[in-house]
Amino acid sequence: MRPEYTTCYVRFHEERCTGCAECLKVCPTRAIRIRNRTSIRLVDLCIGCGACIRACAAGAISAATRPPQQIGNGHVAIALVSPVLYAQFPTAMPKDVLLGLRHMGFRHTIDMSIFLEMFQFAAAEFIRRNRETGEAPWPLISPVCPAVVRLIAFQFPALLAHVLPVLRPVALMAREVKERIIPSYEAQGRQVALYYLNPCPTMEQERFGPDGTPLRHPEISIGINDLYPDLNQRIDTILTEVPPFSETHFEYETCATANAALVAMSGGEIASMRIEKSMAVHGLRDTVAYLQKIEMGLFQEVEYFEFRTCREGCLGGVLSAVDKYMARSNVQRMLHLHGLGRRVPGNTILRLYDKGRFKPDKSPLTLTRFFGDRKPALSLEQMVRIEKILDTVAGWGCGACGAPDCPTFAEDVVRGEAELGDCQWLHPSRPCMKATPDEPGRSSPESGL
Amino acid sequence: MASLKKFFFIKARDFVHAGEASIHIQSLLKSMHWDPVLIRRVAICSYEGEMNVVIHGGDGVLNLSIENDRLIIEIIDDGPGIQDISLAMQPGYSTASDEAREMGFGAGMGLPNMKKNADDIQIESEPGIRTRASMTFLLESPKETP
Repeated sequence: MRPEYTTCYVRFHEERCTGCAECLKVCPTRAIRIRNRTSIRLVDLCIGCGACIRACAAGAISAATRPPQQIGNGHVAIALVSPVLYAQFPTAMPKDVLLGLRHMGFRHTIDMSIFLEMFQFAAAEFIRRNRETGEAPWPLISPVCPAVVRLIAFQFPALLAHVLPVLRPVALMAREVKERIIPSYEAQGRQVALYYLNPCPTMEQERFGPDGTPLRHPEISIGINDLYPDLNQRIDTILTEVPPFSETHFEYETCATANAALVAMSGGEIASMRIEKSMAVHGLRDTVAYLQKIEMGLFQEVEYFEFRTCREGCLGGVLSAVDKYMARSNVQRMLHLHGLGRRVPGNTILRLYDKGRFKPDKSPLTLTRFFGDRKPALSLEQMVRIEKILDTVAGWGCGACGAPDCPTFAEDVVRGEAELGDCQWLHPSRPCMKATPDEPGRSSPESGL
Repeated sequence: MASLKKFFFIKARDFVHAGEASIHIQSLLKSMHWDPVLIRRVAICSYEGEMNVVIHGGDGVLNLSIENDRLIIEIIDDGPGIQDISLAMQPGYSTASDEAREMGFGAGMGLPNMKKNADDIQIESEPGIRTRASMTFLLESPKETP
């Protein structure tokens, strides 16, 4: 048997599992199995897309994020705010949301707009230069959605070279905090904690350093849904009463435009980038379909693909508090009220670009070390056996055996991790149905294979 | 010697399902941990082959055969056939319908792409009767990038 996989992105609560098999089918890496009817197992790598959390009606799967506790107690709390947070509130403006966070105990609230602006500029610059140098293959793929990059490493390793080699906005944001804010507190001997406020269950593994030791300044992921009730109350207070004085030290601690909120929507990333031909694809199913097409050589005339595994983009993240369509409407209203604006002059970004400040510190190819290491290769003989089993089973993909679909079930049988008798609907024309009438489908028809 | 054989139907003008055989072949090769670059070359060729059947009419079939050291894809269709194979092999030469072109296909790169990515390609055509394209990929291929 293969070792059980653990994941830093989701938690299973077996006692709640009803065995409905919905999670099996949505998992893009087909990593989930249900054994003994209600026992959920992970048998392959999780890329943290959160699709299973969304699919589970019984609440048996949750994100591995934690509810916030004692923010700012004994440490300096810095919030790295995903723009999705702004889209959760129909009446509050981004500045009110950030003020609400400071009332919750965050000493600094880092808004993403400036970093998004720099990322978008740097991305467009790379693409412009790539037209001449041909350094990277077309189409380039946005590195913004981490689940997409992991999906590529896991399932489309040949496309890793297409991932745009520019630092992600959140990485730019974290670097700025580490270079400019943390040192001053360190000089005072104070502990700092970075809180990523996220719509998706994707940041947990970065709590630890590369060698597995805890970071000197802990990095904590909080789901927006866990933060929402408290924050909502504080924002109500801010909007109805005179807000108490609150000072900010850095220009990126507040937000006055709708740029960031726009990026939370599908298509928002490319909307304010100057690229001749780009496409935005959202939702897990379509993301996989388009990656398959790119792998088959299509879309070489497209320069840039924005992929988001969540429907409607990041604001459809599984850890957001309000529904994606309501969040979208909030963003659109914000666009009407504030419009778009630029805060950083192009020359400044260009200078940083030429200094190599946007180069990722590691190539996406290093991801294959974590996500490329998968089940052992199947031999040709095993492939032939799988085809024979597929001729035997019904092929309806019901999931009753605990595997997501029939080909995966057949693969599990050949790998010795499931038994053919686990299939509840063996083909009626096969002798196995008649072999033991008191226990249909439980005898082994393997002899013929 | 073991060999895996499978066949897929390809329906003429069915642009919605075109490419499914290629996706299936891709996933088979991935579970055997073939080299990603080789998988991509196979995918490009089988997709172009499928599209040729879909675009130029005539239903067809794709035969896949995987052996220990090679993979063979044979595509047979009963479409109009190719009048002049050497002309069709030229990049940019296309006889695709306006319908196909409006959908972004038929740029005349199908056969050249197949030739570029396969280790060996054989095309025979009897105009008005049938066309058969057979592509061979070697596991230890001398070819490099798609």
